[in-house]
Amino acid sequence: MKKELNFEINILPVLDILSVMICFLLLTAVWIQLGSMDVKQAIGDNSASGAKNPPALWATINTDNSVQISLRDIGQKMTLEYRVAASRQGIDWEALNMRLQGLKAQLPELKTAIIRPEAQANYGDVIKMMDQLKQTQISDIGLSPLGT
Amino acid sequence: MKQSALNQTQRFSPIKQAQILRNGGESSKIGAKKDLAPILSLTSLIDAFSIIVIYLLVGTQSGGMETDIPSRINLPTAEASSIIEEKTSIVRIEKGRYFVDEQQVSANQLGRKLYELKKASGKEDLPLLVQGDREMNYADLDPILKAGAEAGIQKLKFAVVPNK
Repeated sequence: MKKELNFEINILPVLDILSVMICFLLLTAVWIQLGSMDVKQAIGDNSASGAKNPPALWATINTDNSVQISLRDIGQKMTLEYRVAASRQGIDWEALNMRLQGLKAQLPELKTAIIRPEAQANYGDVIKMMDQLKQTQISDIGLSPLGT
Repeated sequence: MKQSALNQTQRFSPIKQAQILRNGGESSKIGAKKDLAPILSLTSLIDAFSIIVIYLLVGTQSGGMETDIPSRINLPTAEASSIIEEKTSIVRIEKGRYFVDEQQVSANQLGRKLYELKKASGKEDLPLLVQGDREMNYADLDPILKAGAEAGIQKLKFAVVPNK
C-alpha cells in the first residue's frame, strides 16, 4: 500500500500563535518608543555683529540643587535674578515650575533659555529642567559647556 | 480514506454544532437540519491576520527611529519630548566612555570623529542623538558639547523615554 506523504497542517494553533504575537507586539511596542529633547547650540560669538539678542533666561543648576535664574536682554538695563532653594529631595521642581510660569506670564516674548549646570549636577536633572522649560513654552533651549 | 485533522476538528467543533438551526425551533422532519454556518476559508483568515500584524507593526512605530539601548543605561524621562523622525548619528555615554555609532572613541578624539561624521553626511545641520544614563554627572556630557561645537554641530537631541 502506498503511504501518503501529503499532510495538512492544523491551522488553528497557528492562528492562536498569531493572536498571541499581535498582543505581544502591541505591548512591547510601547517600550521601544524613544523621544528626544532638542537643543540648538550656538556656535561662535555674534556679539560683534551688533544684532540685538532676544530676551533670555539663564538657569544655573548648583551642586547643592538650588537653581539660580537670571533674565537678560529683557529691554531694561538691569538683570533680574531669582533663586529657587533646594528641597530635601533635590531640586524643588514645584517651586521652579511656579517661578517659570510667573516669568512667562510677565514676559510672553521669552522664548530662549540657557541652562548652565555645574560639573557635579545630575544629567537627569538637566533633562528635567529642559522638560520644564519646554512645558513653559520656552522652545529655544541651549546648554552651556563647563568653564564658560 | 484518511481524514485530515482539520476535517475532524470541523466535524466535532462545538461552534459548528451551535450553528446548526432547526426549522421552526424544532425539527419537523428528523434529519432536516439546515447548516447556516458560512464556509470560512482559513487561507483568507490568515491573510487578514497577516495584514493586521503588518498594519500594527507599521502603525505603532509612529515613524520614529529605532535604536538599541543597552539595559545598563537608564534614560531620563520627559513629558515635552518630540519624536525622533530621521535617522541620526548616536553618541552614547557609558561610565565616562564614549561611543559614536557603537564605536568607542576617546574624549579627546570626539571632536575629530564628529567632524568626520558631519563631513561624510554632507549635511550642514547634522543632528546628533545623545544617550546617557540619568544618574551620570553633567561633567561626563561636557566633552560632547565641546566636541560638537568644534565640529560645527548645532543640533543636539537628548534621548528620553516619553512620560505621557
